[in-house]
Amino acid sequence: MTAVIEARNLSRWYGNVLGISEVTLDIEPGITALLGPNGAGKSTFMKIVTGQLKPNIGQVRIFGQKVWNNREIFWRLGFCPEVDSFYEGLNGLEFLTGLLGLYGFSAPEIQSRAWRALELVELKEVARRPIKSYSRGMRQRIKIAQALAHDPEVLVLDEPLSGLDPLSKRRIIKLIKELRNAGKTIVVSSHVLPEVEAMTSEIVLIHQGKILARGDLHFIRELLDQHPHMIRIKSPHYRELARQLATEDYILNITFEPENSAVTFETHQRDRFFDRLNQLVLESDCRIEEITSPDDNLQAVFDYLVGK
Amino acid sequence: MTTIREKGYHHWDGQFKENFRPSWPIMRAGIKLAFQRKKFKPLFAASFIPAFAYAAGIYISERLEDFKSMGSGLEKFLQINPAFFKSYLTLDFTYFMILLLMSVGGAGLIADDFRHKAIQLYFARPLEKKDYLLGKAGVVAFFVGCLTLLPALILFILKLLFSGSFRLLVEYPWLILSIILFSALVMLFFTAFVLLCSSLTNNRNQAIALMFSLYFLSSILSGVLFLIFRSPYALLLSLKVNLDQVAAGFFLVKPSHDLPWYLSFLVLLAFAAFSYFLVRKKVRSVEVIK
Repeated sequence: MTAVIEARNLSRWYGNVLGISEVTLDIEPGITALLGPNGAGKSTFMKIVTGQLKPNIGQVRIFGQKVWNNREIFWRLGFCPEVDSFYEGLNGLEFLTGLLGLYGFSAPEIQSRAWRALELVELKEVARRPIKSYSRGMRQRIKIAQALAHDPEVLVLDEPLSGLDPLSKRRIIKLIKELRNAGKTIVVSSHVLPEVEAMTSEIVLIHQGKILARGDLHFIRELLDQHPHMIRIKSPHYRELARQLATEDYILNITFEPENSAVTFETHQRDRFFDRLNQLVLESDCRIEEITSPDDNLQAVFDYLVGK
Repeated sequence: MTTIREKGYHHWDGQFKENFRPSWPIMRAGIKLAFQRKKFKPLFAASFIPAFAYAAGIYISERLEDFKSMGSGLEKFLQINPAFFKSYLTLDFTYFMILLLMSVGGAGLIADDFRHKAIQLYFARPLEKKDYLLGKAGVVAFFVGCLTLLPALILFILKLLFSGSFRLLVEYPWLILSIILFSALVMLFFTAFVLLCSSLTNNRNQAIALMFSLYFLSSILSGVLFLIFRSPYALLLSLKVNLDQVAAGFFLVKPSHDLPWYLSFLVLLAFAAFSYFLVRKKVRSVEVIK
């Protein structure tokens, strides 16, 4: 399959601070997720891909055309920035029509494209409401609408799920999948693994400006399974739970927190652990107040990958 | 790596509009937004008071016999010559109204884009920096032109109509060119000035304060330096004095100060060039998110 986005040896510094370093990446049609903790270089990469930043070294091409200083490419490219970037006094329709005007479409074409985009992101009903009255989810969707209103083939979405409630997240994930099914090439960034899991299995792990790993989710999972998972359980019966589970061979370590009535298990085999935990809860009537995974975040994944 | 899908995207087969300049929609939007602001319309209307007064002056100058009752000396006062147009184009009131109008409709042109982080949306479109700057400059130039070039040309035509002859045109064939060139300079200066102030902050109120303080402080400072050093060159620091001096040069009238007008012209051009350089730099700098 031909790569739509080709990045070659991209490096970018901000003074002494490294943004990205020697990033070489081919991105094909479908959804590709850039996964990395805050400050990993995801936004820098996206800004270079969208022609807003010039790399110090290297080049990026979209459909074989260079991006930097190439106006033409922006007809085929849509960008949704991480931060809110709109005039809050405008309503959703005005926001979209104003930006569509920059493409030189005729007035009826602008209107029809704006309404089509609003329909796609399910904001038609609130199109004439000022953006300042929009919820976080609506704002995120109007930002996505501006990125796709001119019907680009490539969409670059910087943290599209950031700060959203579960319902809004689900809506946007559904929308992104629909866009993928419509044949678009979509690059999304996130620092939350489960969010990415819900969208795609094609993942690029980026950390400290470098690509650590690239592949599908199973590859990442396999990497992770070489390291113990931490599972913290808060329960009034935390000692009883620990006693029962201590006999299992996949439990590597148990740490008590009497002040919080909690216990933390370390295990290589999370699935077996949860199967047994379910069984215990059903059999012994243990009440569980909270289950969390202290290391089930991206920083922990990266710590494992970089061998910290 | 697993192949997860087939190539399903379609190639864009539209046509890139080479002749389209994205600065036009930016300019149109800026003008529209200015008129939507509170108090802008009455201020804009009030800005034309001098134009009406000057138009009345032209009318009276052609009907002096009918207006004898207004007192003697009218004839001398209402001579329609290059000095008359120079005086219209350098009115303190007009410049003050330009500043006032731009404080409502121009101070936020770039500052608001900074504040709302809209720059990145502009530059993720088929738009170059010069298009963006031209669009923003067009907004200021439009309003300044409305208060200078447009009324001055109308006054010129009114004079021809009321007098029923082309005497003014014959006596001063260069006058129309002077009106156009000097108005263009005023437009260039105020455009550079407003955009500079707007690009130095992301707060429109600060941009407004900057506009007024820079404009008036330049006159105060040059006045103080003039008093200390007794050198007319100190007056080159005053933006208003420079505009007056250049107007005198363009309209071939005696300048108010003992300074060559071309020096003031160079100061204004240098100011515009410096502003352009700085605004361009500022707009670029926000693209870099560290």
